[in-house]
Amino acid sequence: MPLGAYIAVSAALFAIGIVTIITRRNVLYILMGTEMILNAANINFVAFNRFGSNGLDGRMFAIFTIILAAAEAAVALAIVLNFYYLFNSVKPSEADLLRE
Amino acid sequence: MNAYIEQMGLIAPELVLTALSLFVLTWDLLKKGRNSDHIGYATLVGLAVTGWLLLQQWGMLGDKGTQTAFGMVTIDRFGTFFKLFTVGSMAVVTLFVMLDKNERKHGIGEYYFLLIGASIGAFFMVSTNNLLLLMLGLELLSLASYSLAGFHKGSKRSAEAALKYIVFGGLSAGVMLYGISLLYGLTGTLDLGLMGHAPEGSGAVSLATQFDASPIPVAIAVVLVLAGFAYKVSVVPFHFWTPDVYEGAPTPVTTFLAVGSKAAGFAALLRFVGALFLTDGVDASIVAYGDRIGFLLAILAAITMTLGNLSALRQGSLKRMLAYSSIAHAGYVLMGAASMTSEGFAAAMFYLAAYYCMNLGAFGFLIYFEGVTGKDDIDSLKGMGWRHPVVAWSMVVFLVALTGLPPTVGFYGKLILFYAAIDAGLAWLVIIAAINSVISLFYYFRVAKSMFLTEPVPQVPMRQHGLAGILCVLAVVTVLAGLGAFKDPLRGWADEGPASLEIYATDAGSR
Repeated sequence: MPLGAYIAVSAALFAIGIVTIITRRNVLYILMGTEMILNAANINFVAFNRFGSNGLDGRMFAIFTIILAAAEAAVALAIVLNFYYLFNSVKPSEADLLRE
Repeated sequence: MNAYIEQMGLIAPELVLTALSLFVLTWDLLKKGRNSDHIGYATLVGLAVTGWLLLQQWGMLGDKGTQTAFGMVTIDRFGTFFKLFTVGSMAVVTLFVMLDKNERKHGIGEYYFLLIGASIGAFFMVSTNNLLLLMLGLELLSLASYSLAGFHKGSKRSAEAALKYIVFGGLSAGVMLYGISLLYGLTGTLDLGLMGHAPEGSGAVSLATQFDASPIPVAIAVVLVLAGFAYKVSVVPFHFWTPDVYEGAPTPVTTFLAVGSKAAGFAALLRFVGALFLTDGVDASIVAYGDRIGFLLAILAAITMTLGNLSALRQGSLKRMLAYSSIAHAGYVLMGAASMTSEGFAAAMFYLAAYYCMNLGAFGFLIYFEGVTGKDDIDSLKGMGWRHPVVAWSMVVFLVALTGLPPTVGFYGKLILFYAAIDAGLAWLVIIAAINSVISLFYYFRVAKSMFLTEPVPQVPMRQHGLAGILCVLAVVTVLAGLGAFKDPLRGWADEGPASLEIYATDAGSR
């Protein structure tokens, strides 16, 4: 497969992630959207590393990104759980204590 | 392996902080949450040791700086300046946590642990030319900040702040990561030095060369990465989270976000922009597209300061007003980056040092005020000037400094920022910034007016001498720095920082 194919997949994944975050109101879907964006970046890193430069920089970065995504998901879910206990909802739009 | 062990001395401050974070967490577990003040003192001692090591490091470093194995960590005066800044703000925030009457004392060890963790993230973020470590440092800082924003588990406002923070934060981190992946694909390296200027045979292509060949992908990649930084320093249009998170988070955490976290974000932004686009850098081909990025940053700076100031005008809550004021100040600092000269970078660093004094002071006042009245709206300030004169007069000094009037450091900081921007041909931006300073006069002085010019409303007199003392010291420093007491060392420090931001052409063959 040529490099362009990988980039097309990652760009599509990135776009889907952004659209998910913008259109969905449920915070769990929003978190899934961010995961998609992170994985889009991962595809890029591995593909560019395979086709382009020497060394392992890109692959290393992809491994670290996976770890980052896991850590972020853990913190995010803890915060969502706490939010759910207090508001009985997982929709950020239903939280409106902080406004002008 | 030996190379790593030999170079451990270079990251000694980070190692001390890491040890401190583990110590604080373990001690809290053993003590089961009792004697919380002792943990605060232990944190202060650890921070003092870190600060001392950093000062030693500053003395030993030349203009050039040095790198550890594989070019992962870059130790230079630019980074050390911001590390000292982080340690300094952490120390004051720790004192605020200890003295804040509203802070729950249970689980305080975790509170300090998260704060120190955020500082470690900031440390690595400001001292690397490698985008991998920059991203990891930024995420460590962010993840600790998310948890801190939601630290008051039973509080709805805290929970809402944390949720909004992590939703925006996750999005911008992802966008930035995608931008980094594109930059990596375009240049074949993760090292900012090589991206800015790739020598023959390094296997990398410099971004300037790529820009000539294919401008649009380069522009997209750079804008995506800048979006991540813009979020961290709350520049428009990535500022939406700022007022809500600042208002909902515990006030000492807000202080850290507004001062420590923002400065670290600016440090990384300046390093990124400096390595790739600094117009007085080595590579003449950079100049053309460096100017375009400078123009983009200048527009963002103008919109940010205007929007921040106009929104601050109509806030009833002091905490929310300070949040918008911090957005406006991000716009002022961005002026320095937009000028794309070493002079502008030095001015931005000096302004951040000034911002350190006045904003820590203003938030300290907010903590005092919340401790006395339990509220944070400006109307409840009535009579503060008569009941708590020392604190109120300190606040007046901070307000004068935030507006940018003499004889405070805020005036001097704005002055050199304006000079740098005019030298870079951004006179229109300076005019907008000057108009903005006048606008900000209205809302800053609404606070002073509320404190002094209105009849006191009856309230329980309560004094917090420790906090009042800190505010007093900060106010005196703000005035003295404005009168020129620390002008020479501070300017010297800020000037030497960008000078050490030279482009590291690491030997790519070694990796």
